[in-house]
Amino acid sequence: MKPAIRLENVTKKFDELTALQSVGLSVEKGEFIAVVGSSGCGKSTLLRLIAGLLPATEGSVMVNGHHIDGPTEDVGIAFQTPVLLPWRTVRENIALPLEIQGARRASYEDAIGRMIDLVGLKGFEDKQPHQLSGGMQQRVSLCRALIHDPALLLMDEPFGALDAMTREQMNLEVQRIWMETGKTVVLITHSIIEAVFLADRVVVMSSRPGRVVDVLDVKVPRPRSFSNLGDPGFQEASDRIRELMNANGMVE
Amino acid sequence: MRDAAYPFATFVLFVIAWYGAAVFFDIPPYLLPRPEAVIERLVGDFGYLMRHTWVTTYETLGGFFLSIVVGVPLAFLIVSSRVLDKAIMPWLILSQTFPKVALAPLIVVWFGLGITPKILITFLVAFFPIVISTVVGLRSMEREMLELATSMRASRFQLFWKFRFPLALPSLFSGLKVSVAFAVVGAVIAEWVGATEGLGYLLLVANANLDTTLLFAVLAILTVIGVVLYYGVEIIETRAIPWHATVRLKDASL
Repeated sequence: MKPAIRLENVTKKFDELTALQSVGLSVEKGEFIAVVGSSGCGKSTLLRLIAGLLPATEGSVMVNGHHIDGPTEDVGIAFQTPVLLPWRTVRENIALPLEIQGARRASYEDAIGRMIDLVGLKGFEDKQPHQLSGGMQQRVSLCRALIHDPALLLMDEPFGALDAMTREQMNLEVQRIWMETGKTVVLITHSIIEAVFLADRVVVMSSRPGRVVDVLDVKVPRPRSFSNLGDPGFQEASDRIRELMNANGMVE
Repeated sequence: MRDAAYPFATFVLFVIAWYGAAVFFDIPPYLLPRPEAVIERLVGDFGYLMRHTWVTTYETLGGFFLSIVVGVPLAFLIVSSRVLDKAIMPWLILSQTFPKVALAPLIVVWFGLGITPKILITFLVAFFPIVISTVVGLRSMEREMLELATSMRASRFQLFWKFRFPLALPSLFSGLKVSVAFAVVGAVIAEWVGATEGLGYLLLVANANLDTTLLFAVLAILTVIGVVLYYGVEIIETRAIPWHATVRLKDASL
């Protein structure tokens, strides 16, 4: 079976600045991958390369066996900010990708209803973004990323701006949605807890230039819960990540 | 509607102060007519004043609409073409420092005394705020929003109509509000340069005859025109962008 994502020797330069240096990574279908590293380590750049939003300077990026040279339908993205269109209701925001692809409204009403149920936004369909809390807005953003049923979900620190409680709740939601839909997920985060809680494997990156330092497995069975954070599997993984980040002078 | 009570109270105080000053200091009516004289004049010459009011309103709206019709598409062009942007935008910004009304005599030389030069002069004054604010609005898209649109593979057309244009509306409307106020100024100045009717013309006539009461009556009408047009734009804004914070939070106090 072809890997969902395959990066070979990928380097990305912005003029003189090398954001990523010789990055290699292979992600299986249905796998949940988290990428951690301090700010400026190029993890957001990595996500944009996979999304086809940026071209690689060297090396190859493949998604589902296809070379990436631009955005594809196979990918849904949740950004750092919800980037909802303020003049559209929740439902209309979620419908946006389908509308842009030229789908008929009647053909997706049901799908939107199911998606709204999936993330627990029932009753908020006709609200406007400003009427929602930050966590709710990110749920809408997640819905919009998933509505066209992409094989791959990319998340760029989507919960960084949320308070700790809401964030934990969103992590649980993401785990549940991932288990229900079986998407391949790449989550960019600077939270070690979030990374080990959600991911099958955690990619640790160093900064300037961004490199993959290590990829480690989190061997904790699903579904995971925050009350199990004392589990040796979690402990081992997070200790190792901290160790790697310290060794690379990444802790500020 | 209760909010209207405050500015109305200010207005009443102003009129009382005016009346008080006129009586207390015994100011001769040719310098400062009493409020009741101005009201009498407004009522007595109502038909005559309205005929001139209509002319000025017509010129104002003509210049304002021409500004929209030319200004908004020009902003679209500037934003969509790098070459046009580099060629035109610096001049537009420089022209902000240029007194546009100084061109009025030249326009009268070119176009005579009819309605055309009035609308053109009004247009000159009202046009720039619309272009600049529309350009700023169209450019205000954040990086992630652009990436979102790109990741959905939106066409240029979709990017414009589904993202950029609605995002530009708040800025466009603030430009329209500045512009509509400028338009009244433009129309009055256009009439000063050469006209046989309109409120600007009446101001000159009143001035020449030392008819201060008429002057005040015309000023009162100009104020009303300005306020009505401004709120007209604001009402349309409220309808067009109910989602925007300036509209939503209008009633919120600090």
